[in-house]
Order: sequence, then structure tokens, then C-alpha cells
Amino acid sequence: MKIRNIAPYLYVAPSLIIAFIFIYYPVMENVQSSFFSWSPFSDTKEFVALQNYTRLFDDSVFLVALKNNLIHLVISLAVQVVGGLVLAAILEDVVFRRVAPVLRTVYFLPVLISISVIGLLFSFIYNPDIGLLNKFLAMVGLEEYARGWLGDSDTAFPAIIAMGQWQGIGYITMLYIVAIQKIPPDLYEAAEMDGAGKIRKFLHITVPQVKEISFVTIIYTVSQSILTFSDVYVLTKGGPGNSSQVLSTYLYQKAFVDSEMGYASTIANVILGITVVVYLIQAKVFKNGQEG
Amino acid sequence: MMKKSFAVSICIILILLLVVGCGQQTPANTENASEGNEVTLTLFHRWPNEPFKGYFDGVIQEFEKQNPGVKIKVVTALNEEYKQKINVVLGNDNSPDIYFTWVGEYANKFVRGGKALDLTKYVEEDKAWSDQIIPSTLKPFTLDNKVYGVPVLMDVRMMAYNKEIFNQLGLEPPSTWNEFIQVLDKLKASGAIPLGFGNKEPWNGGLYITTLNQRLVSADVLAKDNNRETGEFTDPGYVVALQKLQQLIPYVNENPNAFSREEERNMFANGKIAMMPLHTIEFPYIKDAKFEWGTFNFPSIEEGKGDPSVITGAPEGFMISAQTKHPDEAVKFLKFLTSKPMAEKWVKETNVISTVKGAVNSSNSTPLMVETIGQVEKASDMAIWIDTILDGRIFNPYLAGIQQLLNGEKTPEQIMQEVQEAAKQVKESAK
Repeated sequence: MKIRNIAPYLYVAPSLIIAFIFIYYPVMENVQSSFFSWSPFSDTKEFVALQNYTRLFDDSVFLVALKNNLIHLVISLAVQVVGGLVLAAILEDVVFRRVAPVLRTVYFLPVLISISVIGLLFSFIYNPDIGLLNKFLAMVGLEEYARGWLGDSDTAFPAIIAMGQWQGIGYITMLYIVAIQKIPPDLYEAAEMDGAGKIRKFLHITVPQVKEISFVTIIYTVSQSILTFSDVYVLTKGGPGNSSQVLSTYLYQKAFVDSEMGYASTIANVILGITVVVYLIQAKVFKNGQEG
Repeated sequence: MMKKSFAVSICIILILLLVVGCGQQTPANTENASEGNEVTLTLFHRWPNEPFKGYFDGVIQEFEKQNPGVKIKVVTALNEEYKQKINVVLGNDNSPDIYFTWVGEYANKFVRGGKALDLTKYVEEDKAWSDQIIPSTLKPFTLDNKVYGVPVLMDVRMMAYNKEIFNQLGLEPPSTWNEFIQVLDKLKASGAIPLGFGNKEPWNGGLYITTLNQRLVSADVLAKDNNRETGEFTDPGYVVALQKLQQLIPYVNENPNAFSREEERNMFANGKIAMMPLHTIEFPYIKDAKFEWGTFNFPSIEEGKGDPSVITGAPEGFMISAQTKHPDEAVKFLKFLTSKPMAEKWVKETNVISTVKGAVNSSNSTPLMVETIGQVEKASDMAIWIDTILDGRIFNPYLAGIQQLLNGEKTPEQIMQEVQEAAKQVKESAK
């Protein structure tokens, strides 16, 4: 009988131990390291209490990075989650039944391409001299808008965001397509009987029915957005003049270029904090992540 | 019940395996080291790419043949990745015996952290070897009169110009700033893009400033500011240097911040731009150019306080870990690497300048290369890249500021104010 009592704990033990060693322990280490000022080469760690945290507020680059992250987050949610849902609904509509499989592949393809390849592709598109974007603008008579997209502080970060949306939307759309396919058709039939149009059906049946998957897509999009690194790194490395810096690229710079490990840990904790807060709000709004 | 207890025991075994697997980590090297008299050295360099990798493999093979009992294990990582990895491996106890480094503050932080072996003794004992290294390249590896590294190669930044365009317009390579501006004016009037500037990776602008600072600020002040404990950057010459760079903006390609260095080089090789600052390491990229080209040292500046014969460039080389168990063998390898036959082989295979006297000669290099090295051997000093001689906390705002200067978003005074503030912080943390 005793065995029966401890058996469930033994089953979960391996994953708990792995999670503890590789996730929770490093997180705690990181929190601890953010109270010190140290470099990988110095033998001593100087205790600075909360100085690393107060320094964040005077650091103009950090504030730019934070602002950029938030802009990225809002746009990603709007384009990928809302846009992805609309796109999925359109693709699942009877009108598009014929071409839907082709379009699904078209939208999903960017997800499968490595970010370095996409970065290279987009640096050609944004190239001021031979870039497709400027050529296109010239073709439709909008030459005055042509510019060095990645070299201009005003357009560098929006250009990076645009690339991220192009790559990310396919994945979210795919998740929604699966969810929409699971909705029982009789719901739509009943709505049709009552005289509901396409938009009403979308708002009153599709949206509530995919609520659970929305929880997943929002979490996924938020965490992807907060952790954005490669998009920025391959296109601008945070430039020009730090205008496209995000938290993770700034963290990288602080840790591996400036050797300020303590401060880098602090930035990492901020990223963690934001993610946790967003998750909690979301879990509250959606009550919980349970199916049904 | 039987089944259940079986499952439980399997579970326990799996957990134990996990715990054992994670808990114990015997360093793999200890076994090798105790085996007979064999010595294994780890070499960490930044060239997983050819022709450099092949060169190092060849040298190591030759060295192992000549020194039975010594084995060299190679670990490599490319530039940016190298910078990241070296921080990690030097931070723990398993550091490589010999590792690559750039010079300036980049190397000094290794020295201060006690990661680099003092090589003064070896340099003084074996004069026959150390005297054949170009002295101006050994100097950047010296801190407080102690030698901490061995220079192996050198990169020099010269102004390259398209001789065809220059001849058509009857222009001569300028030697002063005013002449330089006149040349730029004439080039621009002819419809050509006078100067290439790809500043997407901000170091490129930083290297313009490296040269301009050296020309405008006196050597003592520069040395004081490059030292993290005394850096202030209050000399008015720094602001003038940025103003000079600003003066060049009308002559460079549009949107310099949107062009990468590769694009800049390609534009020069295609004859689209008339001049660009070119590194000797990059000479091979231009070899397909269909026109004749030459180089000149950056012009002197009339009001400048710096020595105009100084060349912008820096040696790169190797340091030996202070924790190594076999310092003598490690030094022996570096001596072998910088012996004249190996240095000549280096130049021949990689087309990169060696720091050994006479290694670059007409048998293995183009006349242009030989001419360049002649200038280096004559030069008393080198202006070392701003992004390795300074602390990252100073050069990052500096480089970001230069990008903003090119976009017209910041003035030279604002940039220097930020740099001064950063220098103040670094100075405080250095105490």
C-alpha cells in the first residue's frame, strides 16, 4: 500500500529534477548574480545590492530597448494573433476550399526557413541600392519614400518587425486552422438558419470556439516577441545608433562585449519579469488553460 | 503488485542514473596528462575557415613531428563567436593553453584578470627569436613593461584608390587634408562617388575616427585616454575629429549606415567608387578588379598634433594561459609559429602580413604588399582600432554616436559628451 502512495511522485520526479537543475536553478543563480558587479575575468564579485536595477532607469539604451520590445509585442499580437485568426478563418471559408491547401503552404513556408537565410533575403530587399523595396517604390512612382531602410534610425526597427511578422504569421495561422476545423459544423448551420452573415459567424462562433488555442498562441507570440534576438542581430545588430536595440541584443552586448555579467543578469531578470507578468495577466483573463 | 514494484525500481534506477550523470564530471584531460610523458596543449584560435585553418593544421603537424611527445589539440570559432566563447572558457578552470587575442583593452582585461602568462623572461632570454619580430607589433602586447603575448599577424588600414579614375582626372594621391578635400571635390564634380563608406557594422566608422583621432590629438593625451584608469576624452581634438568625419559625408555614398562592408568593397572592386579605406587582410577580395589600384597612408591634417607617419593598424597574436601546466612547450610552439620559415609560409598561404621581419618579400607577395610592410617597419607606432583599444562601455556609445552623426541626429559635441561620461564611469570602476 505504501508504494501506491509514493508511486505518482516517483513518476513525476525525473521531469521535476530535470526542470529544477536546468531551469529553476539557473534562474535562481541569475537572480543572485544580478546583485553583484563582476566580469568573467575577475576573481572577485563585488556586492552592489540593487545598484544594477536602479541603473536600468538611467540607461537610455535600456529604455530604448524596452520601448522597442513593447512595440514589437503589441504589433506581433495584432498582426500574428489577430491577423493569423482572420487569415485562418478566410482560408477555411468555403469560397477558398479549392486554393486553401496551396495558400496554407505559402503562408507556412517562411516558418521553415532558417532565420539567417531570411535575414540575408531581407537585407537584399531593404538594400538602398539594389533592394527590391526601393525598386518597387520607384516603379509605382513613390521614389520619394525610397531610403536606406536599415540605415535610418526611424525605419530600421519597423523594418525588422515587418520581417518578423512575415515569418511568424504562418505558424499561428496553422494552429488556428486546426482549431477551426475542430469546431462542429452544426454550430455554423444553426447560425445560418438564424440568418447570420459571415462576419457574425466569425465573431460569435469562431472566436469563442478557438479561445483555448488563443491562449496558446498569445503565450507563444508574447514569449517569442520578448525574446526576439536573431531578427535584430542578423539585420542591424541593434544599430544605427542603438535605435533598433532590443532587450536580448542589449543583454548580449553587455555580457559578451562589455563583460558586465551582473548587469546582463539584471536585464535577463527584467525579461523574465515581463514574461511572467504577461503570463499571469493572461491566465487571469482566460481563467485557466484547461480545455473545455 | 509485482508489476508496480518493477516499475518503481526502474524509475529509481533512471533517477539514479540522472543524478550520477549530472553530478560527476571528471575532467577528461587528467587522464591524458598522466599517461607517460606526453604533453597535450590546447590551442584556441579564430579560424575555422580556409586558408587559415589549413595553415595552422600544417604548422602543428610539422611541430609535432619535430617535437615527439607534444600533441596540440585545436579548438576554433569564428570572430564574433570566438569573442563570446573565449570569455566563457577563460572564466572557468579548463582554459586553453594557448589562445588568440586582439590587442588593446581587449587583451589587457585578460592580463588584469590573471589569465595571461608573463612572457618577458622568454623574450629576453631568446633575443635571436624576439629581435626578428617587428618591434612596433610587440609593443601593443606589452603592459607595464611586461610582455604578455606574441604577435603573429598584422592588419593595416590604408586608403585604396582607383588609379584609372585618378589618371583620367589627372589626380595625385593627397598627402594633406586640404589636398584630400580638393581631390574629393574633383572626383565628385566628375560624377563619380568619391569615397566608399559602409557603416552598417559600426566599427568601420570607428576606424575612421581611430585614424582621425591619432592625427589630431597628441600622442600623450591619446595614450592617457586609451588607458581605462585615466581616460577622459576632454581634448578638443576629439570633437574636431568628428567634425572632419562630418565634412566627408557629402562625398560618401548615400545611406552609409545601410551599406555593409562587403557592399562597400564590391562597389570599389566594380569601379563604382574611387576611394575606400582598405585593410591589408581585404586585399585578396579586390584582386579581380579590372583596373589598377594603389594605396596611400591617410593624409596628415594641417592643425593636427599627431605624427602623420603613424599607420592605422594592429597586430593580432596569441597569449598563453597563466594556468597552463606546460608553459615551456607552449612558448616553444609560439616560437615555432613565428620562426621565419613558418612566417613566410603564413604570408604565402594566407596573403596576410606577418609580424616577422622580412617574411613579406617579393617571392611571396605583391609589390603593393611589400611596399605597405615597408611603411609599417618604418613607422614608430600604430594607431590601434578604437573597438579593441577601448573598453566596450566606451566604444559602444562612441560607435553608436558615429552612426547617428552620419544620419544627422547627433552633433560631435553631443557624442563626445556621452563618451566622456562613459569614460568617467569606466575610470571609477577601474579603481
